[in-house]
Amino acid sequence: MVNLWKQAGITLLILSAAGCFAADKEHATVIREATLYVSPGANSTTIAQAERGSGMVVLERTDADNQPWLKVFVTLEQAPQTREVTGWLPGKSVITTSTPNGDQVVYGQAVDSEHQAEERGGRKGAAQDALRLYSRMAELFPGSSLAPESAWRAADIRWQLARNDFGKPLETRFATAEKYIQDVIAKFPQSRQADLAAYDLLETKLCPDWNGLTDCPLKESAIYEQYAREHPQSTKAPEALFKAAWRQAAVTDIYRINNNLDKSEAARRKAMALAQEIATKYPDADWKPRASDLIYKLDQRIPVFSAAVDAGETK
Amino acid sequence: MKLRMLAVLLAASLFSPRLPAQEKEQGTVIDEVTMYVSPDATSQKLARATRGRNVPLVMDRTTISKQAWAHVLIVVDVDLERETERQITGWVPSKMVITTATPNGAEIIFGEAADSESQAQQRGGRKHAAEDAMRLYYRIYEYFPNSPLAGEALWRAADIRWQLEKSDVRMRPSSREMDPNMRDSMDDQNMKLVIKKFSHSKWADLASFDLIDNKLCGSWKGETKCPDKEAELYEKYAREHPQSPKAAEALYNAAWRMGALVEMYKTQHEQDKAEKARRRGVELAQEVASKYPEGDWKPRATELMYALQQGISTYDADQARGK
Repeated sequence: MVNLWKQAGITLLILSAAGCFAADKEHATVIREATLYVSPGANSTTIAQAERGSGMVVLERTDADNQPWLKVFVTLEQAPQTREVTGWLPGKSVITTSTPNGDQVVYGQAVDSEHQAEERGGRKGAAQDALRLYSRMAELFPGSSLAPESAWRAADIRWQLARNDFGKPLETRFATAEKYIQDVIAKFPQSRQADLAAYDLLETKLCPDWNGLTDCPLKESAIYEQYAREHPQSTKAPEALFKAAWRQAAVTDIYRINNNLDKSEAARRKAMALAQEIATKYPDADWKPRASDLIYKLDQRIPVFSAAVDAGETK
Repeated sequence: MKLRMLAVLLAASLFSPRLPAQEKEQGTVIDEVTMYVSPDATSQKLARATRGRNVPLVMDRTTISKQAWAHVLIVVDVDLERETERQITGWVPSKMVITTATPNGAEIIFGEAADSESQAQQRGGRKHAAEDAMRLYYRIYEYFPNSPLAGEALWRAADIRWQLEKSDVRMRPSSREMDPNMRDSMDDQNMKLVIKKFSHSKWADLASFDLIDNKLCGSWKGETKCPDKEAELYEKYAREHPQSPKAAEALYNAAWRMGALVEMYKTQHEQDKAEKARRRGVELAQEVASKYPEGDWKPRATELMYALQQGISTYDADQARGK
């Protein structure tokens, strides 16, 4: 019995020591790709490459080659595996929780990487760099005013990458990314970022194909309208309302093609009401003219759905 | 006397079209339409007119079997390469034609243009949607010059044309030429029109920013004169257009080029010049951070400042020289 207690005590001691190790040590990341060395100095043996935004804990500091060097414990996320290694790297590209303006510096490099990812001929892996940097920034500097935006951008990049992962079936494609989007909503409720995250989630509820039937556009219209009602301050609210209106206009066409004229007219009136709501509620930006264009087409009975199908459009 | 009479008649004939032009019903089509010989969908087809095509004249209107028709003159492209045009007259469904007489006409065309622009940006969006958007935006400026949307519409039309040409120019081998005069430029006519017609506006500021593209080196080839000149161009823009939405970006671009110069001078072992460029880069980045605290430019400038202060490379000079 005593031995058991002793064993439990030792286990607890080890666990708490590990906890202290993580809590006491300075957490950090790198804003440039950095080489990890066995010992301080660029002439020593290399161990691995730490990519921008890699998570690390600073273990020791020293000077070599006339510059500061840090011994770090790095978690290298090289999908599908994660490696945890210890090594030395030059201190200048390491941003720790105590670096002055560290939040701005990491966030700035994340924006730069995101910009690179969007450019033709931009740096390879720049989107993943941006994702790591944004998520690391929110993790290292949770009190920063940039933390909610950073967490949201990381989750959104993950979402966009998942969307383009055509190797996975549509039903499972967003499974991992959804967790991060939900985290943004939970951590920053009632924020602009939570509104945007909630908008991303609507995508999982859309039909892959309407098959020329009214069920899907009707369901999608209701989903978008509900979003606009629940998030009236969201920057995505007018877009959601426009999408709801456009789907009602599509339903108008589908019912008319099927000679269901009463239902067609009801859908037309609903689309009109939604489009008019955009024009009055959101007079700025492009949504008012786009709503006016849709109102004109509905008023003049210009088909929107069949024309869009013919042209291969998606909305 | 006869000569004077002739002169008066000539003057009258030259200026007379301008007066009726203002009364003429003119506009564009907001969807792809088929033109017919007569106001009847079973009659002979003449041509297809795409969104935004110029309708310089609506000649007649009629209603047959509850369907309203318009007899229009439409300008269509014949040879896209040679930019030749042809004018065709024919009948189209009236509802597809938005003219100067259509209530809320400018807003409807702008909405259709924005819709086409959005299509052009989507994966799998409608083919030639960017060109549709460009034409539709331009019609607003052309036929609704007093609309509050006219300035933005002309700017958007000019910018779409600019981006399309830029992407085309970049595909050519000459795009890697260092000297901007040695490569094809983007046609600046519409940008200059924005600046002239809407001077001191946000749209003129944006047009001026785009025009810098024509003055940039295709490739630096490790020569310091390129980033040096470009930094100057961007800084000049920021000083001359402090209210522009592009002012922060211009100042950042100038600072970033100074950062690149630091690395280039270092590889050439010109430490004094490298240090001078570093100090200038820090100054410019500090200015971005203090003058434009909103948006992404402040953190980007802070990161650049940090990199310059810590001696972190912001530009791979060796790689750029092809080493």
